[in-house]
Amino acid sequence: MDWMKIGSAVLLIMMLFMVYPRVKHELKHGKKGSQKEWIGGLALLGGVAVFVWLLAKSM
Amino acid sequence: MRQNAPVIERTRTSGQSIEINKVLKNTYLLLSATFLFSAAMATVSTYLYMPPMTYLICIGLSFAIIWFVLPRTANSGSGVLVVFAITGLMGFGIGPLLNQYLAMSNGSQIVGTALGGTGVIFFALSGYALMTKKDFSFMGGFLLVGLMIAIVASLANIFLHISGLSLAISSVVIMIMSGFILYDTSQMIHKPESANYILMTVSLFLNIFNIFISLLHILGFSSDD
Repeated sequence: MDWMKIGSAVLLIMMLFMVYPRVKHELKHGKKGSQKEWIGGLALLGGVAVFVWLLAKSM
Repeated sequence: MRQNAPVIERTRTSGQSIEINKVLKNTYLLLSATFLFSAAMATVSTYLYMPPMTYLICIGLSFAIIWFVLPRTANSGSGVLVVFAITGLMGFGIGPLLNQYLAMSNGSQIVGTALGGTGVIFFALSGYALMTKKDFSFMGGFLLVGLMIAIVASLANIFLHISGLSLAISSVVIMIMSGFILYDTSQMIHKPESANYILMTVSLFLNIFNIFISLLHILGFSSDD
């Protein structure tokens, strides 16, 4: 079990190192959305949240 | 000169449209094939009752391939084989996890619901992005920051063992991966020239895989058993 913990931690730390440069690049050069675009995008994610909540409730 | 302008514009638009259709067709075809292969590998792993360590080893190996092998092969025919290796390993890796859930009294219902729920989320979001052709590239930074926060929280929870935090991480991961489905699909529509179908397949596969694992966790937690 301890090996599982160590292995998972190593994998997650590696993921952080791999994701960080992309985060930095995206925050610097990524497209900025308008308020309307954000509302549309977040509404869709809200819909997913409601769907997952309904699925969990049905169990 | 003036009369030529619309013709050039129309030709460019038509060429771009062919490019979009090609990327979309190749991505969805490869995605379907890799899902069937991954499901077959998961079935084999479930029947073999692989030990829990299999999950970590397979996920670790598949990420190593994604980071070090895939970028070098993405533009060649061997990239397709690499995609099958990644998805096959991931499918084989979830065998012990599926056995854990299937051992519960309503295990098959949990696994079936998670599978169906993942399918509904993917088809609804991908379908929405394809139909409306909206550009979701503005979400990139937000989703990547969210992913980093989720990774740090998961890292902390390996040692903290807080079940509430683990549930919150799973919920956040579903939201982030759903956002990535929108982001990746819109990338294929708006930047077909830079969207490589092999990389897009792996990206969409990872989104769906993470949604399935997180949904499995949430449904298993909310089940009475």
